[in-house]
Parts: sequence; structure tokens; C-alpha cells
Amino acid sequence: MIEVENLVKHFGAVRALDGVSLSVTAGEVVCLIGPSGSGKSTLLRCVNFLEEPTSGVVRVNGRRVGWEGTRRVSARELARTRAEIGMVFQHFYLWPHMIALENVIEGLVTVKGMGVGEAAAKGRALLEKVGLTDKMEVYPEHLSGGQRQRVAIARALAMEPRVMLFDEPTSSLDPELVGEVLRVMEQVASEGMTMVVATHEMGFARKVADRVVFLDQGKILEVGTPEEIFGRPRHERLRRFLDKVLV
Amino acid sequence: MHLDFGVAWKFLPILLQASLMTIALFVLSQVLGTAAAFFVALARMSPRAWLRRPAMAYIWVVRGTPLLLHLFFVYYAAPAFGITLDAFPAAIIAMSASAAAYNAEIIRAGLQAVHRGQLEAAYAVGMSYGQVVRRIIVPQAVRIIIPPYMGNAISHCKNSSLASVITVPELMLTAQMIYSSTYRAIEILTVTGAIYLVLTSCLSALQMYLEHVTTYEQRGLGEARRRRLRLDTPLPTMPA
Repeated sequence: MIEVENLVKHFGAVRALDGVSLSVTAGEVVCLIGPSGSGKSTLLRCVNFLEEPTSGVVRVNGRRVGWEGTRRVSARELARTRAEIGMVFQHFYLWPHMIALENVIEGLVTVKGMGVGEAAAKGRALLEKVGLTDKMEVYPEHLSGGQRQRVAIARALAMEPRVMLFDEPTSSLDPELVGEVLRVMEQVASEGMTMVVATHEMGFARKVADRVVFLDQGKILEVGTPEEIFGRPRHERLRRFLDKVLV
Repeated sequence: MHLDFGVAWKFLPILLQASLMTIALFVLSQVLGTAAAFFVALARMSPRAWLRRPAMAYIWVVRGTPLLLHLFFVYYAAPAFGITLDAFPAAIIAMSASAAAYNAEIIRAGLQAVHRGQLEAAYAVGMSYGQVVRRIIVPQAVRIIIPPYMGNAISHCKNSSLASVITVPELMLTAQMIYSSTYRAIEILTVTGAIYLVLTSCLSALQMYLEHVTTYEQRGLGEARRRRLRLDTPLPTMPA
């Protein structure tokens, strides 16, 4: 479903990604763990071309993202590809001038050209699914962080993406709000969605992930099942990282 | 000192007539200037130097020199280039150019105040640049822009009085002509000032109204919007 080959991303002199290869199959849940600045976010952002990779190849659903042969794809083509890739951000980035329901259906109406009535019915069902039946008419500024993030997940799901990318979805939440977001993500995973999740929530990774990827300094250091990564870590760096986060 | 407002009363219809010219000068140049300003702002923000540099230079020169000079320049210097303009179109050109430069910076500030992450979220659902500008940036920027934009509009309205120097028969020139023949400067200028005050008060009121309608999150959704979103029809029960 997602293939990443030898991905390199430089920001000036900083090597954010230093030759990363990863393959995610349909229905799989992959968690990216690693210290801040290890390249988790950059990897996700390169998958849907929010960052343009310095070199390397990303394929989603068999199609190369951003390039066709030797030429860059048109902005329109790139937008079409992005519509198939759902993305959830650390800081939600809901659109503050729209109520929750409008945030969810905006892509359906603007990008897919669906009628507002039809889109709204779909959007309401999605908000119900993420437990926000009574918040449909509320502007983002009146929602808690956990509620905002659930709206953001519904917004991404509305587009019926093939894969979902989660960029530290709970890192800016108050601790007591983390659970409600993780429960929704777990539900999405259980329905067979292909997911790549950059996270510091080791409990979630252990419970939901099919595979866990440990990134350090822009490289993949270790890949394995949760049992392998958390039970029998091979690299010293991973052991030290887990010691710090699993207090 | 003897005041005679009877004179002012007698000339009031003429002053009101002239204020229509003032309104025409202001509205026309404000609209043209704003439309141009939007594109100057986009150019000024462009990563392409060949768009950005001319926009910066334009803003630098026009904001850095007096409107009075622009008026003289367009009116008296244009014939040297083989173009002869009447006073009114000359004033419209000079005033639009000025409004474009000032408003470009105000619009740019508003456009840039929208957080980058919101644009990324829009690109991530598959929107094009045009859709992002229209659906995400502009609706939010408008709200940010209103106070500085309207403040600038009020200045611009008053600055239309400068067009009197190139003989546009607007309010200020008309007032001058009346008091230089009647010698009733205090009375005529008081009434003229009052007319300007009414005009700028309308703009202040417009600003308050616009600020009110754009504080959407404090008010309920309109009836039409509720209906469009079918918020009052019950949701069909979904199988769990």
C-alpha cells in the first residue's frame, strides 16, 4: 500500500531523513517511534508530499507520489493523490471559520464536488462515529483538544482515504484527553484501515500496531512486532530510548 | 466676531452636490485600489523574485512619496508622454495607485496571519492552491484585515480633498470657491467639516457592522445555513 525507498530529506545542512526504506501492506498498522527530531514527522510529511523529498521514491497504492517518470506531476494530479491519503496533525489544524460538521465535509464538497446535503449526512454519521453527535454545530475554538482531534480524524476519514497518516496525534493533548483520541484510532484500525502513526504512546503501539519502527537520527534502526521491539530490543539506542519513555 | 450660518445654509445644496464627487472619487479609487492591492499582495508574497521585487518596489515608491505629488504628476506630467487626462480620471489613477500600495500591505498581513498548518491541512485533503486561497485563507484574512483596512479607508476618504489641487470639483474645492467669494470661511468650513464627518462616520459604522458579521462564532448559525447542512432533520439510524 505504501512503499518508501531510500528516502532522503535535507533541511539545509540537517539530514532529517537519511535513507529510509519501508513498506506497509494494506490493512497494516505501523507505529513510528523514536526521539524528537528522529525523522518521524518528516517521513509522514514526505509520504503525501507536504515536504518534497531530497531524493528517494514514495509509492502509495502502486503510484509514485509527486513524480511520473522523470517529470513532476501537475499540482492537480498531486492534489488527487493527496485526497487518497488522510492526514491527522499534532496541532489538529481545524479551520476555525467553520463548525465541526463543515470542517468534516469541506473536502467532500470542495474537492469531490459532492452536494452539501449529501456530504452533511455523511459528515454527521462520521461525527457520530467519533462520539461528537452533540458537537456538530460547534466552532473549533469551543472544543477541547481531544474533541478537536476527533473532528480532525473524521475530516480525514470523510475523504475515504486508502491510508491514514497520524503525526503525533496525541502529543499536544492534556493527559486526560489522550484516551478518547486513541480509542477512536483503535476503532479505525480495527475496521481495516492502513495506518502509519508517529507516536510517543507506547501503550497504543504495543496494543494496536502490527509493526513498530524505531527511527533515530533520520535512519530506521529497528523494525519488528511490538513483542520484539518492546520485549527484545536489539539495539542499545532503542533500549535506552525505551528506558526513558517507559518509566 | 459675527457668524452667519444663513450663508452656509444657502450653499448647502451645492456643498452636498460636491460631496457626491468626493464619494465618487473615494469609492471608485478604493475599489480599484483594493482589487489591485490583492494582486500586489500575492506578488509581494511570491517565492518568485520577478514577481516579488517589482511589488516591493511599487509599494516602496508609492508609500514613500506624497499623494499630492502623485496627483500633480499624473495630471501635469502625463501630457509630456503624449497623454492628456481630465482632472477626474487623473485623480482616480493617482488615488487608486496610492490605495493599492497601502492596502497591499494590509492584505498581505492578513493573508500571512493564517497559520501554515491550516493550509497544509487543506492541501492534505486534496485542495488546489486556488481552493485553499478561496476557502481557507480569504475567509479568515478578511476578518483580520477589516480594522486596519477600514482605518486606511477613512484616511483615503479624507485624502480625496487633495484632488482639489488639480481642479476636481469635489467638496474641498467647492468650499474654497464659496468662501473666497462670500468671505464666510468659518461657516463654510464648519459645514464642510461636518459633511466629511458624516462620510467618515458611515465608514466607521460599516466597520462595526463588518466586525459584527465576521465574529461568526459568537452568533448562531443562520437559518439558511442550518437548512443547507440539514441540521434539523434527524439522522437515519446507522447500524452499529
